[in-house]
Amino acid sequence: MPVLAADIPVIETARLILREPRLSDLDAMCAFGASDRARFVGGPMADWQVWGSLTGMIGHWALRGYGWWVLQDKSSGATAGRLGIGNHIDWPEPELGWHIYEGFEGQGLAYEGALAARQWWRAQGNPPPISLIDPKNTRSRQLAERLGATIESQTTIRGHHADIWRHPEAHA
Amino acid sequence: MTAPLLTTERLTLRRPEGRDHAAYARFFADAEASHFYGGPLRADQAWGRLAEDIGHFALKGFGRFVITRQDATLGGCGILDVEGWPGHELTWWLLPEARGQGIAQEASRAVLSWAGQNLGWQQVETHFRDENAPARKLTQSLGGRKLRRETFPDGIARDIYAMPTGAEGAA
Repeated sequence: MPVLAADIPVIETARLILREPRLSDLDAMCAFGASDRARFVGGPMADWQVWGSLTGMIGHWALRGYGWWVLQDKSSGATAGRLGIGNHIDWPEPELGWHIYEGFEGQGLAYEGALAARQWWRAQGNPPPISLIDPKNTRSRQLAERLGATIESQTTIRGHHADIWRHPEAHA
Repeated sequence: MTAPLLTTERLTLRRPEGRDHAAYARFFADAEASHFYGGPLRADQAWGRLAEDIGHFALKGFGRFVITRQDATLGGCGILDVEGWPGHELTWWLLPEARGQGIAQEASRAVLSWAGQNLGWQQVETHFRDENAPARKLTQSLGGRKLRRETFPDGIARDIYAMPTGAEGAA
C-alpha cells in the first residue's frame, strides 16, 4: 500500500479542497500537460513526463516541507488544477504558482486557492512569496494583480523570460 | 509510515532523502554513466529526479531505493513504474567508486527478494536498450529471461525481461 513521504496539510476553502496529489489525479494532469494551456509552464508534456510532475510534487513536500497541492472541486469532486509554493533548487526563492484546468477557469477558483495557499505559507512565519510569470501569460498576470502582487524585477528561468512578482506584506 | 529498509552483507538500501542530492547530481552530471538514464542532467534536474523518486514511493508503495555503504550513498536500485511506459522496471545506477564490485547485483537481489516478500510479486520486469550490454549481463545473472519486445514512447524499441523474486506461487 502506498506510503506518504511527507505530511501534506489539507486546506478547505468555500469551493475547494487543497490536498495531497494522488494517482487518480494523473488523467487530469495529463490532459492539462498535453494541452496548449501548458505552454507557459514548460509544456506541452507527454504522459510519462507528467508522471514526473506528479511524483515530483510529492517529493518536493518531503524535501522542502512545503509544496503544491491538488485542487479538488468540492461540488463535483473533480481535479480542478494544482497550486502551491514551489522552490526547486534553481529557483530564486519560494514561488506561489498555479495551474487551472479546462472547465474550471473564470470562476475565481485560482484566486480562492492561491489565497488559501498564501495564507498557509505566511502562517508558517515565511516572508511574502514571489510568483514567476511569463509576460505573455495575461490570465496569470491578472490573477497576480488581483492577489495584490506587483512586478519587482525580471529573470530568466530554465531559458524562459519571467517577471518576478512580489506578493504584498499584508493582504486579505 | 514504515520506510522499507533493506540490508545485505555490505549494503543498506533505504528511501531517498534530501541528503542524497549530491550523489544524484554527481551521477547525472556524468554524460557517459547517465547516458542510459536520460542524462546528462544539470544539478537542478537531478534534484527533480530525486524528488520524483521520493514521490514514486508515496504513490506506488515501491520505488528506487538509494544504495548506501557505511552511510555513503553509492547509487540507486529499485523498481520504477512510470505511467505511460510499457511495464515496470528493475533499475540501478552506481557512482564510479562503486562499480566493478558486484554491488548492483547484490542490491538487485535484495530488491527482488523484497518485492517477492512485501509486494507478493513472483517476478520483476526490466528493460534496456539493445546496446546496454552491462544491463543485459546483470539481468541474465539475476535469472532474467526475455518476455517480449516493445517500442517505447520515446520511439526506441527495447527487450523486456522478467527476473524471478523467489516468491512462491503460480507466476
